[in-house]
Amino acid sequence: MLGGSYDAQASDSDILLAGFNLRKYFPIRGGLFSTHVGDVQAVDGVSITVGRGETVGLVGESGCGKTTVGRLLMRLIEPTSGHAFYRPPPEVYARLDELYRTLAPFAHANNGAAELTPEAKEALNELDKLAQQYSIFRKSHRQMMEIRSKFQIVFQDPFSSLGPRLLVRDIVAEPLEVHHIGNSTERNQRVLELLADVGLNPEHMWRFPHEFSGGQRQRICIARALALRPEFIVLDEPTSALDVSVQAQVLNILQRLQDQYNLSYLFISHHLSVVRAVSDRVLVMYLGRVCEEAPTDELFQRPLHPYTQALLSAIPIPDPTLGRTRLVLSGDVPSPAAPPSGCRFHTRCPSVMPVCSRVDPPNVEIRPKHWVSCHLYPPPGAEALPGMERATTSPSTSSALPSDSAPITPGITG
Amino acid sequence: MGASVIPGPVVGDMGGDAAVPTAIPPTSVNFPSPTGQPVVVDVRDLTTYFYTYDGVVRALEGVSFKLRRGELLGLVGETGCGKSVTAFSITRLVAEPPGRIVGGKVLFRGANLLWGLDGEATFKPVRKSDRVKVRRHFRKIKAAQTRISSVRGRGIAMIFQEPGQAMNPVFPISDQVGEAILLHRGMEVIDGLLNATPDGPDVQPAIEKLASLGQDAEPRLVRAAAMELGRAVNLTTFGIEAYYVAREQFPDYREHVIADLNRRLRRLRLTRLQRSYLQRERRLAELDQEMRGVLLEEMRQGTLIGPPKRRIRSAQMRARSRGFYFRVWGVKRRASFPLREETFWRVVSVLEGVQIANPAQVARGYPHELSGGMVQRVMIAMALSSDPDVLLADEPTTALDVTIQAQILELMRDLRHRVGTAILLITHDLAVVAEVADRVAVMYAGQIIEMAPVKELFSSPLHPYSQGLLSSIPRFDQPNRKLESIYGSVPNLIHPPTGCRFHPRCPHAMPMCQESRPPLTVEGPGHHVACFLYKGPPAVE
Repeated sequence: MLGGSYDAQASDSDILLAGFNLRKYFPIRGGLFSTHVGDVQAVDGVSITVGRGETVGLVGESGCGKTTVGRLLMRLIEPTSGHAFYRPPPEVYARLDELYRTLAPFAHANNGAAELTPEAKEALNELDKLAQQYSIFRKSHRQMMEIRSKFQIVFQDPFSSLGPRLLVRDIVAEPLEVHHIGNSTERNQRVLELLADVGLNPEHMWRFPHEFSGGQRQRICIARALALRPEFIVLDEPTSALDVSVQAQVLNILQRLQDQYNLSYLFISHHLSVVRAVSDRVLVMYLGRVCEEAPTDELFQRPLHPYTQALLSAIPIPDPTLGRTRLVLSGDVPSPAAPPSGCRFHTRCPSVMPVCSRVDPPNVEIRPKHWVSCHLYPPPGAEALPGMERATTSPSTSSALPSDSAPITPGITG
Repeated sequence: MGASVIPGPVVGDMGGDAAVPTAIPPTSVNFPSPTGQPVVVDVRDLTTYFYTYDGVVRALEGVSFKLRRGELLGLVGETGCGKSVTAFSITRLVAEPPGRIVGGKVLFRGANLLWGLDGEATFKPVRKSDRVKVRRHFRKIKAAQTRISSVRGRGIAMIFQEPGQAMNPVFPISDQVGEAILLHRGMEVIDGLLNATPDGPDVQPAIEKLASLGQDAEPRLVRAAAMELGRAVNLTTFGIEAYYVAREQFPDYREHVIADLNRRLRRLRLTRLQRSYLQRERRLAELDQEMRGVLLEEMRQGTLIGPPKRRIRSAQMRARSRGFYFRVWGVKRRASFPLREETFWRVVSVLEGVQIANPAQVARGYPHELSGGMVQRVMIAMALSSDPDVLLADEPTTALDVTIQAQILELMRDLRHRVGTAILLITHDLAVVAEVADRVAVMYAGQIIEMAPVKELFSSPLHPYSQGLLSSIPRFDQPNRKLESIYGSVPNLIHPPTGCRFHPRCPHAMPMCQESRPPLTVEGPGHHVACFLYKGPPAVE
C-alpha cells in the first residue's frame, strides 16, 4: 500500500528518498534437509518518503521491523519485493505515486481482493520498467557506490559498531579511503573538522574507541557518518544505549548538524519522547506494517489508530503531578512468523470489530498528510464491509473523527 | 519455640529497632515519614569498594536511605553511579573478590544483614610492598551465606537487569519458577494438596457445569466455572488447570473434558506413600522456616544463638531419616508426583499474574524460546511469587517495550497495595520514576546527593546535578523545549574528584566544593540534599 507521505504542495524535487511497498521476508529453514518452512514477515508493504532536510521518525515496539526498513533504504539488505528511489525526477515520482495508488487494493493477498484487473496489470508492467531504470535495488555495484556516499547510518550500540583495533582517525577516515578521497594529510584535516563538528577534541584523533565513554563513541559514529558529506542519515536508535544527560548532548549535536548541512534523518526509535523532540513527521509501525503516519504534532495530539493511542498513553511522563488514565494493552506482540490475519493489531485492539480479523484495513488520508490504516476510519465513499459493527462497547465509541477544536491525547488529563 | 525470641541486651551497635531512632542529636530535624509505615530496610553508610589491578574503585561511599512498608523508592542516576551495586550490597551479592563491602549497615526489620562481615577475612600487609595478604575464614563465610540466604527471596527479592543471563538455559521455565515457589512457599503448596477434597459433593456437578459450557463459550464464563470447580476441590490451582483443559478444542468436547478432568482429579487422591512424602516435606519446610527465624534473630541481636539451631538441626536429621525408602530408585519419583504437578500449576498461575499469554505452554518451554520481554516477566513472576517484604528491582523495565512496561508498572503498583511490599526501583528512566515512585533518591558517583518526595523533586530539584538531569529529558508533553545537557562526563571512581564529586561538572562550583564533601542537609519535609548551596540543618537518615 502507498504510504501517504507524498505532499502535493511541496515541490517534488524535495523528495530525497522514496521507498514503495517494501517487503522483506526472512526465510525460516527447518525440518529435514533445512527446507523452507515459513517466513518471518519482518517488513510487509511499507512505503516511506523522506524529504530534503526533513527528520522522519519511525517508531514501534521491538521486533516490528523498524531497523529492517532502515537497512532496506540503505540497501544493506535486498528486499523481497518493492522499490526505493533516490532523488527521483519529479515527473517519475508523480507517475510512481499514481501507479502505486492503482495497485494499492491488490497489495495484500488475504484481503479478499479480486484478480488483477487489466489496468492493474498494465500498471504493474509500467512500474517494473520504471523500477528497472530508477530503483536503487536495480543499480549496479559501481552506481551504488556513488549513491551510497550520500547515505549513511549510525547504529544503535556504539560499543560494538567501532572497530576496537582502529584509531579514531582511521575509523573516521575509513569512508574517505574507501571512496579514494584526498590524500593522507587532507584526510587528517577532514577528520579534525569532523571531530570539531561533533564536539570532540583534536587529541582524541589518536586514541582507541575503548578510551571513550558511550556518548563520545556515539559522536565518533556520527563523525564517521558525516565524513562523505551525506544527504541522508539513518539513525538507528542512536541514543537508546546512552544516559539521559548524554542523550541530550547527542540529540543537540544531531540537530545542529542538520541545520548546518541540511541533512535528512530517518530517526528510528522506540522512545516516543525522543522522537517527538526531533522529528517533523512520524510513522508508527506495528508488526511489519505502518499503521499511522502524520506530522509530529498532529500525531501526538490527535492519534487516530488504536495502537498509536495505546502507545502514547503507555509513555511515562516525567511529571508526577499529572493524573492519567492509562490504556494498558494486554498480551504480547504476536510473532511476525505467523502474523494475525487481517489487521495485524486486532488481537490486542481494544476496539476490535469482526471485520478486523478478515480484511486488511485500507490506508486512508484522513486529514492532509495524516494517514491511518484502520477499519475505524473507512475511506470516504466506500460502502461498509460486513462485520464493521462493534463486537463490544469500548470508551472510544464512534468512528467519527474527533473535532479539530478539541485535541485529544488519550490518557492525559490536566 | 518458633522464631525464638531470646531475651538479652540489645547490642548498642546494632541500633535496636530500626523504626525508632533511639538517639537524635538535638540539632537535627527529623521529619515524620510521608507514609508513617514501619521501616523495613534501613541502609546506613553503605560503602562498597572494588579492588582491581588499576586501583580501588570507590563504587559506593556512604549511601544511606530508609525504605518503609508499601513504599516505592526510585533510585536514579547515570550508568556506573552505583545504583546496581547498592542493590547487590544489600543482598550481599557483590562478587567478592574483587568487590568488598567495606562498611555500613543494612538493617532489615532490625536485623543487620552485614553482621559479622569483619570476621570473614583478615588482612595482613606484606612487608616492603603495598600488597595485602588476605586470609579468608571459610567457616564464617559459610555461616554468613546461610544467614543471608534466609532473608533472600521471601524477605528481600530481587529482579535482575539482564533477564537472559539470570535464567538457566538447560531447565524449563516451570522448574526454575517452581523451585522458587517451593523454596519460599512450600508449606502453603503442600497444605493445599493435603487439604484438597477431590471427592467433595460439589465436584462432579462443577465438572458437569464446566463441560456443558461448550468450547465456544466466552473465556470469562469458562474461567468463572473453572474457578468454581477449584473452590469445590478446595484447591485454587486445580481451577486454573481446569480452565486450561476447558479452553482446548476437542471433537467431542463435553465427554472429553469430563474424562480429562476426572483423570486429573486422581492426582489429588493421595496414596499413603504420597501422603507420607508430603508430610515429610512439610516438616522439613517447617523446620527451614524456624531456622530462618533463628538466623534473623541472630542478625538482630548480633550474637550467635546456639541451642535452638542445634535443636532444629537434629529435628531436620530425624525428619530426613524418616524417609529412607525414598532413596529406592523410582519411589521418590512416584511419591512426589502430586507435588510436582501442583507446583507446575502454581507456576502457571504465577505466570498468569504477569500477563503472559498462554502460560501453560510458556511454563513447559525453555528461556531461549521466549522474547526478552517475556523472560523479564518470568523473572518478575519469580521474584513476586514469594510475596516479598522488599523488592529490589534493578532496571526491571529497561529491556521492555513501552506497552509491556506499562503492564509491569501496574503489576508493581498492585503488589504494593496487596502485600505491602516495599520496592526499591533502580532505573535511569526518570519518567518511570515520576509515574510510580513515592520518593526519589538521586545518585551520583556512588553517593546519594538528593532525596525527596517525587512531586517535590520534579517540581523543585535543588542539587545542580538533579536540575541538569531533569532538564535533559525529552518531554513527550513539551515537545519544543530545548534540551539542556550536563557538561562533561561521569568521573572515574578510582580517582574520584575530591570534595563534592560533582564539582568538576557543576555550574555553581565554589572553592569549598573541592575541599570537603557536602553533608546531607534537610531543606523541606523529607527533602534532603548534599550541596554547599543549601544551609539547612543536617539530616538524620
